[in-house]
Amino acid sequence: MKKILVVDDAKVVRMVISKVLTKNGFAIAGEAENGREALEKYKQLKPDAVTMDITMPEVDGIQGLKDIIAYDKNAKVIMISAIDQRDSLAEAIRNGASGYIVKPFEDDSMTIAINKLFNQE
Amino acid sequence: MNISAEHLKILDVMSRLSIDRASRALSKTLKTGAKISFSKCYVAEIGAVTEKMNESTDEMAGVMVGFKGNVGCKLLFMIPMHGVFILTDLYLRQPSGTTKTYDECSESVMQELGNVLAAHICNSLVSNFDATLTPLPPVVHNDYAGVMFSNLIMEQAMMDDKLVLIDTKFEICKTELACYLFLVPDVASFDKLIDAIGVYS
Repeated sequence: MKKILVVDDAKVVRMVISKVLTKNGFAIAGEAENGREALEKYKQLKPDAVTMDITMPEVDGIQGLKDIIAYDKNAKVIMISAIDQRDSLAEAIRNGASGYIVKPFEDDSMTIAINKLFNQE
Repeated sequence: MNISAEHLKILDVMSRLSIDRASRALSKTLKTGAKISFSKCYVAEIGAVTEKMNESTDEMAGVMVGFKGNVGCKLLFMIPMHGVFILTDLYLRQPSGTTKTYDECSESVMQELGNVLAAHICNSLVSNFDATLTPLPPVVHNDYAGVMFSNLIMEQAMMDDKLVLIDTKFEICKTELACYLFLVPDVASFDKLIDAIGVYS
């Protein structure tokens, strides 16, 4: 079973994402509230993939993404954000994101995006 | 306060478009209709509008969001406390009446709704008007309407006795719930954006 690290500053978003992923056959490796915590948990828990919000306090999701990719260039990170802008998408992809999902999202779209990550292996 | 009637009119159009997009995102997030019942953009006397907000003695939950980019703006989304319980149940897809107290979950729902509203307002301004704008992390408050409103306009109030206010009321369908959304644009930066898009050139 693939393990996912869920990163979002809002507890309810982490709850909803975890519920959808668990229902669809994934395990939750852990949760983090910002980019700094995400890197710490990534090193500690070694998840198979990460879902990462962008707008977060302290260290945002783009910096969190950069830090994780610097630590593990093969890390699979999907950005999940309400920001639906070309520049944000480009910045995420340029820095190594494997995918980008816009909030609010349908449960299926997230499951499909995460499954796609592993089907590419 | 120096804003022409033309610029105020364009700002009104910008705000209606962006708030419409935000309300659609709110509907999708809550999986229920959010209908804009009232939206207007006007120059307000700070004293009068603050006095009006202070009339409300109900405890409210609110979320305030700042923005970064080439236009300045602040957002306040506010709702009576009993409404937060309804929104929490809707967000978590749980039976109505499950949430009975304002707790970490309710606060987090407010935080996320503020984030979704602010991001979609930015998305609209970026795609329709070439702004460069993203939201900052939301800050949740729990207080009287007047206190939260005063926090929202504090910076403007130090410089002027008037401000441009975008005042919107949402109705959440199938509930008796009215939510308040205020946007306070930094007029000087919006003037530059309006000039750049060249409506009156």
